[in-house]
Amino acid sequence: MSHGITTRSKQLATLKSYKDSLKAPNKRKADSPLKDITAKRAAFGDLTNAFNKSSGNEKCMPLKKVTVEGKMLPAVKTIKPHTAVNSKTSKGRQLQKVAANAIESVQKHFVKDLPKPIATRAQNGILKNIVRKSLDKENQNQSQSSSAKSARSDVSEASLYTTALENNSSPNEIKEEYKSISEKLDKVNLDDSDCRSLDEEVDVPHRVPAGVIDFDKENWNDPYQVSCYAMDIFNYLQSREPLFPIDDYLTRIKGITAWMRALLVDWMVEVQESFELNHETLYLAVKLVDLFLTRSTRKLPEREHLNKEELQLLGASALFIASKFDERIPPLVDDFLYICDGAYTLNQLIKMEIKIVKTIDFDLGIPLSYRFLRRYARCARVSMPTLTLARFILEQCLLEYSLVSLSDSKMAAAALYVALRMKNVSEWTPTLQHYTGYALSEILPIALLQNAVLHKKPKSAISTVRNKYSHSIFFEVAKLPLVDDALLTS
Amino acid sequence: MQKYEKLEKIGEGTYGTVFKAKNKETHEIVALKRVRLDDDDEGVPSSALREICLLKELKHKNIVRLYDVLHSEKKLTLVFEHCDQDLKKYFDSLNGEIDLDVVKSFMYQLLRGLAFCHSHNVLHRDLKPQNLLINKNGELKLADFGLARAFGIPVKCYSAEVVTLWYRPPDVLFGAKLYTTSIDMWSAGCIFAELANSGRPLFPGSDVDDQLKRIFKLLGTPNEDTWPGVTQLPDYKPLPVYQPSLGLAQVVPRLSARGRDLLARLLTCNPALRMPADDAMAHAYFHDLNPSVKNDRC
Repeated sequence: MSHGITTRSKQLATLKSYKDSLKAPNKRKADSPLKDITAKRAAFGDLTNAFNKSSGNEKCMPLKKVTVEGKMLPAVKTIKPHTAVNSKTSKGRQLQKVAANAIESVQKHFVKDLPKPIATRAQNGILKNIVRKSLDKENQNQSQSSSAKSARSDVSEASLYTTALENNSSPNEIKEEYKSISEKLDKVNLDDSDCRSLDEEVDVPHRVPAGVIDFDKENWNDPYQVSCYAMDIFNYLQSREPLFPIDDYLTRIKGITAWMRALLVDWMVEVQESFELNHETLYLAVKLVDLFLTRSTRKLPEREHLNKEELQLLGASALFIASKFDERIPPLVDDFLYICDGAYTLNQLIKMEIKIVKTIDFDLGIPLSYRFLRRYARCARVSMPTLTLARFILEQCLLEYSLVSLSDSKMAAAALYVALRMKNVSEWTPTLQHYTGYALSEILPIALLQNAVLHKKPKSAISTVRNKYSHSIFFEVAKLPLVDDALLTS
Repeated sequence: MQKYEKLEKIGEGTYGTVFKAKNKETHEIVALKRVRLDDDDEGVPSSALREICLLKELKHKNIVRLYDVLHSEKKLTLVFEHCDQDLKKYFDSLNGEIDLDVVKSFMYQLLRGLAFCHSHNVLHRDLKPQNLLINKNGELKLADFGLARAFGIPVKCYSAEVVTLWYRPPDVLFGAKLYTTSIDMWSAGCIFAELANSGRPLFPGSDVDDQLKRIFKLLGTPNEDTWPGVTQLPDYKPLPVYQPSLGLAQVVPRLSARGRDLLARLLTCNPALRMPADDAMAHAYFHDLNPSVKNDRC
């Protein structure tokens, strides 16, 4: 299954390469709109009998087997050619057609027993979603082609939507930055010291110790870095971490295992890719799952605990909530029903949503390792491939139940340290110590735990993160040789 | 809902009706905002979700306090602290001209609330007199966070369909989706001028074009020299070239020179040069601010 180019920006950005890709024999990009469909599966395959309707069970079996083994629906294979064939029609219509075809073939395969209204709602959702996105794209593309100098905010939008390709330059540089993906791949250094002179009159409130790069001062004139508040904000986020403790909740729940949680998170990563959601949305959603399970199992009697059949519902609802909180254009409720393969009803999803927000007391401002990592990497001027490696480590660790209780800022710092050592870039520097607030000794135990996760034998059922980061767009960081613990402790 | 007795309808928020109500036990007066949850809908509206979540975090004297969220079958009820009026109504109730000390006090409190939002990574995105509440003690509070959102660093692209037209900054009027705390600072500038003029809006435009023209007639039409990148904004269109006119002295005649200087720093077309809230609080205009306002710990 082709992973990788999932960022909106890429499609928005390169109409030309998009079209080319439709014609090209390797249709990696062309399948992007279909990601909606690839993610549509039961998260647990045989483990969870999410389809509790007994008559439907048999029909779902082939799907489940496929999804667990290859994580790909047969339907996807049948659809792909459509994308290429229809490349002459307008993109909106084309996508609509593709989606319709996809749904048709998916239905042919296994949805006969689904409650009708759901299927229809799901179709609506996915079509609306795709058309909406494609319109968005067309608008973007128009504005780009109409003026050779592409609009600055479009440019920034595209580059800022990206993840591995995340733009790291000053506003002045953004324009040049945004030429083509391949050029971007070459431009991998976060160091933007070449682009601005310090304003002498600037008064930076937070002083840094000697020998430490004053990142915020250097970025003072780049409004998008919000430098004047950056230190406050990250200190604030760090101070909030203790408000969201996650404990060893699985000891209180019967029937849900760490393996099931890993399958769930793996599926959530796939949904994030399919819907092209922000990584913050994914990380927040995973937090919501863990927090919900921590708090609800403490509060409620055992018979009211979540059961394994509802685990995917929890994951989908968590993504639904996180999307509303962070996304500019969140997917619709129907899209989330669709990716659960009709296992749950609208009513169930809405009920679960309210259950989650009440359990977490409506507090979605949860500090996320992903945000800390970006800050630390920028402050230390880590290159894009190294930051991406650290992101891979963090994301792989999302699947790891044994790490759920660890502090997000420490996880971020440790992942960055492991990445720096793996790429033999640097040690733990005074700059990193300053901006993370952690000495090496404080994060080393976590770094070793993360390294152990990387050394685990890959399992095909939970390979989404690894596949994602094996892609060239992510510098193939998942393929890098691993290092021994000795290197981290030396 | 038995806990509260509804008294009267106060108004409509971004996504729900607001009532004045009384806590039956404590007799405390509160404001209730009702959010309907339709079965057939998208669940909790994202505006409500964001408002609840952000206000739970933002506990500050100059930000309206969210006491509680009640959930019943088909609705959420947000329980807010009650304030007597909003700034718009305050303007309407003025007999004659506003006291310039009140202008200073309100402006300082607005900036302090904003600085708190911004340093806790929240953008308000809908500042206007209707969304600033005033209580009997002359305290000003930011309210209606229905369009607010948390931002990351560096910021991502957010919706360009934010901020009521009259208070919308030129970059967003030109379709910018990449904006940051400066978006609120423009609105703060507009409100500052409106305060100084006893409630007369500064730029009451009728549509986006008219809005831009009104702004540029006063401040001069920006170009690539005064605002690098302006012509590249998504909805940029060449407008008549106005030279900076009149000068602020004629626009806000009652405001002191220092006040006009602060206003000019807030009403800066180029968002990169617009003054942030905490800098504005330190501006010389506030040097003679009543210490009871300034020292009011939050």
